[in-house]
Amino acid sequence: MLKTWKRFIVICIALFICAPTAHATIVPYDSYSYDYWENVVFTPAPYVPGDSISGVALGIGPFSSPQGLAVGPDGLVYIADTGNHRIVVLRNDLTGVVRVIDSFQNGDREDRFHSPNGVAVSNSNQLYVADTENMRIVVLEAGEPVELVKIISDPQSEMLDAGFVFKPLKLAVDYADRVYAIARGMFQGIMVFVPEGDFTGFFGTIAVQITPWEILWRAISTREERSRQQLFIPTEFTGIDVDPDGFIYASNIDPQATQAVRRLNPKGEDVIRTGENENLGGDLWNIYSDSPYSGPSYIIDVTYQGKGIYSLLDSRRGRIFTYDHEGNLLYVFGGLGAQAGAFRQPVAIAALDDRLIALDANRNELITFQPTRYGALINEAIGLRYDGDEALAVEKWQEVLLLNENLEIANVGIGKAYLTSGDNVNAMKYLALGKNRTYYSIAFKRHRNELLRSNMPYALTGVTLLAGAWFAVSKIQKRGKTNTEGGLMGD
Amino acid sequence: MTNAFSRDKFYYLKRVLSHPADAFYEIRHRERGSVPIALICVMLFSFCFTINRIYASFIVNDTNPRSIDALMELSGVFVLFGLFCVGNWSVTCLMNGEGRFKDIITVAGYALLPLLALYLPATALSQVIAAGEEAFYYFTIGFGITWSAVLILMGIMTVHNYTLAKTLVTLLLTFIAMLILIFITVLIYDLINQIYIFGYSIYTELVFRY
Repeated sequence: MLKTWKRFIVICIALFICAPTAHATIVPYDSYSYDYWENVVFTPAPYVPGDSISGVALGIGPFSSPQGLAVGPDGLVYIADTGNHRIVVLRNDLTGVVRVIDSFQNGDREDRFHSPNGVAVSNSNQLYVADTENMRIVVLEAGEPVELVKIISDPQSEMLDAGFVFKPLKLAVDYADRVYAIARGMFQGIMVFVPEGDFTGFFGTIAVQITPWEILWRAISTREERSRQQLFIPTEFTGIDVDPDGFIYASNIDPQATQAVRRLNPKGEDVIRTGENENLGGDLWNIYSDSPYSGPSYIIDVTYQGKGIYSLLDSRRGRIFTYDHEGNLLYVFGGLGAQAGAFRQPVAIAALDDRLIALDANRNELITFQPTRYGALINEAIGLRYDGDEALAVEKWQEVLLLNENLEIANVGIGKAYLTSGDNVNAMKYLALGKNRTYYSIAFKRHRNELLRSNMPYALTGVTLLAGAWFAVSKIQKRGKTNTEGGLMGD
Repeated sequence: MTNAFSRDKFYYLKRVLSHPADAFYEIRHRERGSVPIALICVMLFSFCFTINRIYASFIVNDTNPRSIDALMELSGVFVLFGLFCVGNWSVTCLMNGEGRFKDIITVAGYALLPLLALYLPATALSQVIAAGEEAFYYFTIGFGITWSAVLILMGIMTVHNYTLAKTLVTLLLTFIAMLILIFITVLIYDLINQIYIFGYSIYTELVFRY
């Protein structure tokens, strides 16, 4: 008896040791999306944290409150290491430092940065540095050796106040080398500079939004009270990115949590599209309390991933929201915390190949996120739809549905493909699952017309026959009646 | 008093729809109405309402079908119906209304007939419309609501022998009375709860001490 027990225990231990180790990555955050009824629906993780890269690991001493992040056309990663007054250039695989730029030759003297907050790299591989405390934008030749190209400083215009101090924070450069700068305390919009370095005007100004409640409150308060109230000033832009077509993606903080990102055309008009719920503000459910974790999402940066997909970085809850070109929320991931892969104070985000990299100013680390199969499939399917290959996207969406059958955009994607191919019944089925009224209605109308067209002859024949029969029967009955009446009269 | 479920009383529903003024008068003065049939009407209304919320096409329906509980809807409808009847009765008692409590229940229950009857065709209709054609659906529902509202107005007016103006005032007061009823119910519930907690804490104190 004892022997059997011993044997049993030994087998158990052996099984325990030899059991295949689980390969599920432990992710320090929840991944979710919102459904049609705006309920949180948890999803598989679209991205999992990869490496956390600190300055120490790279052998260049710890970063000090780094604020800016950019990826060059050759795939090099540029970090504005603000507290150390330097720009760090990393290799594409983030394993090593290409160079550290902390000084450059300005005329005949050596010049240095002072608290550079933002970096951007142009298509011609020139490095633009927002040298905040030196009140200038420094343009360098990004390759070796580092050469000064030009310095943009002291913008002159009657649009600017007399005492205006130019302190650039974030930068973007488009294909024509126009510079878009977000400056500190500049509420009028993004500052635009032509390639020659002259300030030409503001761009994408956000209109002030006043609620009826605020109007009422101001109306009943006295002049003295009004002078002590908060001023109604437009929200500032927080982050900026540019897509290959020259459209500017600019994030801002929206206390109403309805629109935290704008897509600005060259005229400065917002041309972004919103999805079915008309929301581009991050989290839909705002918990209002005194906790710093509550309130609307605080969108601090935006990055364009390609194929119309862009991601927003929320510094309040450390989440990353990804939308497609139609404004549909694809997935949400990321969170605050002390574990590897969680944020303490995220400040900037960038897309590096298929990865997302984010900068944390408190951890002084660059955190990378690798797409999982789920995330990659969604990105591919959206990319195919963006290119117009909806039929090819169906296979991807089918695979996505195997991983998450509640995903409405996947159902809509399949439904739209069926609609294009003329299979209205299947299109209706998937579009109803995806809760897309517009496209469901198109499929439904076509289906209804088909039904009517094929069945109308039978229906009309049936109705005509019935009417004829009823008419004939009533005629016969009437004749019988008149006959009997006639008979009576004849008597 | 004749049987509440007699054939005549069921056929009388038809007369309520075709000749509401006469029918409500006869309900008050010739015992043609029936409280159980009125309650059945309320129950059917609740069922039709629930069916509409679950099965109306998503083109016109924003409700999450998983959030609907038919039993909860039934009790909700009955609570509202009860509140309305009690509220109206308490107000009309003070305002020289001639209607008895059972007349109010009968009239209010019978008045729901057009609405409950139209909910089902509207639900069926919603299945064959596309976006942009919602007007047909909303017209059907709106027609039912209007008809029912007119019936309730006429019913209350007839059984209490009121003028139209007085009826409207009474209905407004009924609404206020309903709010007061809810307020008092919540208050009583809270007070009883406090007494219970008080007693329970004394009990625990005694148990821990001795």
